[in-house]
Amino acid sequence: MVIMSIEELVAKQNQDGGWPYVRGTSWTEPTVYAVLALLAAGETGYARRGLAWIVRHGRPDGGWPAQAGMDQSMWVTALVALLPPEQLGQEAHRRAIAWLLGMTGEESTLTYRMREWLLGNARLTDKEFAGWPWVPGTAAWVGPTSLAILALERENTRRPQADMQRRVEEGRVFLMRRMCRDGGWNHGSVRALGYESLPYPETTGQALAALRGVRSPEVEKALKVARRFLAECRSAEALNWLRLGLLAHEELPQGYCVPPGVASRTLPDTSLDMLVCAVQKGSDLFWG
Amino acid sequence: MHKTITRRELLAAAAGAAVLSACNVQKPTTPSSVSVARAPAYGQGVYDTMRRLLDEHQVNVRGRNVVLKPNLVEFEPESSINTNPLVVHAALEAFRARGAASVRIAEGPGHRRNTLDLAEAAGYFKTVPRFEDLFVDLNLDDVSRVTPPRSFSRMKKLYLPNTALGADLLVSMPKMKTHHWVGATLSMKNLFGVVPGAVYGWPKNVLHWAGIEESIADLHALFPRQFAIVDGIVGMQGNGPIQGVPKKVGVLVAGADPVAVDATCCRIMRIDPMRIGYLQLASDGIEAHIAERSIRQTGESIASVQTPFDLIPEFQSIRLENS
Repeated sequence: MVIMSIEELVAKQNQDGGWPYVRGTSWTEPTVYAVLALLAAGETGYARRGLAWIVRHGRPDGGWPAQAGMDQSMWVTALVALLPPEQLGQEAHRRAIAWLLGMTGEESTLTYRMREWLLGNARLTDKEFAGWPWVPGTAAWVGPTSLAILALERENTRRPQADMQRRVEEGRVFLMRRMCRDGGWNHGSVRALGYESLPYPETTGQALAALRGVRSPEVEKALKVARRFLAECRSAEALNWLRLGLLAHEELPQGYCVPPGVASRTLPDTSLDMLVCAVQKGSDLFWG
Repeated sequence: MHKTITRRELLAAAAGAAVLSACNVQKPTTPSSVSVARAPAYGQGVYDTMRRLLDEHQVNVRGRNVVLKPNLVEFEPESSINTNPLVVHAALEAFRARGAASVRIAEGPGHRRNTLDLAEAAGYFKTVPRFEDLFVDLNLDDVSRVTPPRSFSRMKKLYLPNTALGADLLVSMPKMKTHHWVGATLSMKNLFGVVPGAVYGWPKNVLHWAGIEESIADLHALFPRQFAIVDGIVGMQGNGPIQGVPKKVGVLVAGADPVAVDATCCRIMRIDPMRIGYLQLASDGIEAHIAERSIRQTGESIASVQTPFDLIPEFQSIRLENS
């Protein structure tokens, strides 16, 4: 893989302490991944400036916007909640977790389900297993649900709580219900108008990471799909998540190396690759 | 017998009423120009055809910044899912030849995050020299907050990429495809790709909750400086925009008014544009955008190139023959 060194990652840091996706202004997602990669590498100095950027841009409701200055908290809050509380700050971390616990896909809210039931479109019990949306007020999808589960599961390991455990379990049911027929996940649409949809490598890896510790024939089917993707896929982002997903189930082939020529095209690609390498070496930064 | 009125039928009826009421007030109209050019295959001939199309429309881009927005959806280079890279390269050369200060290619796919990998699989790196330098991933571009001027949908604000907002001319370059939610996806629906995934996610579900047809109309209104070039050399029929099958049409359709271009494409596909909700919304009741007799059409006649696209059962009612 064409990867960036820690020095190059540091060189991409903006003056304000955050990181861009490729170039330009700082965003929450690349900043969180860069901070996690730097923490994994023991580069706490540069990570601290990134952490300060993140803390500065938290919103009053406890969540985070995708980019500084946006007036809405969204999916990136799950990433912030993945940061170690002792690095982010206990209060900021607690508020991020609380924001996540209070967030569900709109289709799982009682108001929405009641409306659909009254209109004769669904049973009241449909969609009661809540996932997480990208943006509040919209439906839940595989990507944000996987990230939220990772963050909550990690926190639940530190400080077990019944409501957190319940949300993690519900989120996992959501994921299992969104698995494609032959295993694996796409963005979260199993079928449209009766037509089966196909899985994607990156979301298959994400969902498997979120299902760490879950054993079932369905998960086995998904692992088989992930191994096939790992052999075929040439996208850095997809390979990063596939490796994490397979590592979560101790199914990453021994001595696996990313094929030569796979290009890391964004800062999250680079940071996540560093993180995966750290996890392979035993770092507990991702799932504790 | 009780008949349930679908949302689509309700929309069409409402829009039809809007057209009628607009006729009553005799709004002044200027006919839109649309060119239909034969392009039998993805070969060198496309470059000449593209230059001719821009000549016909006297597109003035001297000293201006042009952004070409193709439709990139999936990693399936052999299918007809993505805008063919040769068509985009031909447009790039044609706009450069007309003196554009810069011509960039930009896209933000709705399902897949790894846009450059997707572009590579779709053949863009092989076809467009220095593609990576020319390309902007609209999903990850810096954004500005905008307010939809017309509020067709429930969206009160939207964050959109600066590359698209700052373009002197945004050129929508979709594939001619059927669409399982809105009937047809053409130059207007293609603007979903300017909505940034880094903010709204993959898929850009906020647009669905705000109303798909209404969001298409909102995005159309947010970009007043547009040109449309539809890749109809090989389109997609059936369960588009992803799982359909190739449909050979052999045309490029172009014009400065995306509503008129899309209405013309619909007729080529044997779809009734009057039954496409977002066309009705965006035409604002002005028939010059959408009615065949009011569009100033050049090049091939619709009759000489039209070919019925297969439609899924839910959309049989939008066939021209059934209208």
